[in-house]
Amino acid sequence: MTYKVTEEGNIATVFLDGEIDMDVTEKAKEVILPLVESGKEVHLNLKDVAYMDSSGISVLIESHQMAMEKNTKVIVKEVSKSVLKVIMMAKLEQILNLE
Amino acid sequence: MNLSEAKDFLVSSASLKEVRTFSRETFEKINLNQELKDELVLAIAEAAQNIVKHGYKGIEETSDRMEIKISLNEDQLTIGFYDKGKPVVPGNVQHRKLDDIKPGGLGTFFIKQIMDEAVFKKDQQGWINHLVLTKKI
Repeated sequence: MTYKVTEEGNIATVFLDGEIDMDVTEKAKEVILPLVESGKEVHLNLKDVAYMDSSGISVLIESHQMAMEKNTKVIVKEVSKSVLKVIMMAKLEQILNLE
Repeated sequence: MNLSEAKDFLVSSASLKEVRTFSRETFEKINLNQELKDELVLAIAEAAQNIVKHGYKGIEETSDRMEIKISLNEDQLTIGFYDKGKPVVPGNVQHRKLDDIKPGGLGTFFIKQIMDEAVFKKDQQGWINHLVLTKKI
């Protein structure tokens, strides 16, 4: 997994790339959670994420829940078809902010 | 069509990519639609992850290996997982309730959603655990 972060005002956009599994979830959390913790609105762009397993889904849930605690939000954007299927399998499409 | 492919992997989260590659390459030899292939790869990766995460919980590093065997007999797909981790108590293998939204606990749910059956066999032959996933395809 590789990533790029851009920030504009109070919005931080994290572009993730590659496959998100247990081996990279700590790295993903290290990138995403401090941004959420700081109160920024975080956009997770998943257009280049071809695969995500339950560990990746856990990162999305943890980010979403931390954002609610911090009165901000995490928006999951440009979800690839394969990742959307996993999100839907977990019945999270109504819970996470998907765009 | 009949097919049987097996490969062993170091028990490590770093092996999960290799597990997916092995699974994808094996399913390329079978006439399945891409959506089903993706689901099967996810189920296999989740089962392998469970070995790393739960079978070796508290163990930072190991030289142990796990074996994955994918077999197709006509329309019956069987995927075996062999490991030498902590003995699994099948009754303790449960996924969280979906409406209890929290990180974790989804891997086993995905496996059960995708596969017809997931059973721990008692024919380990030198291994500690033998999980068998089956699906009619």
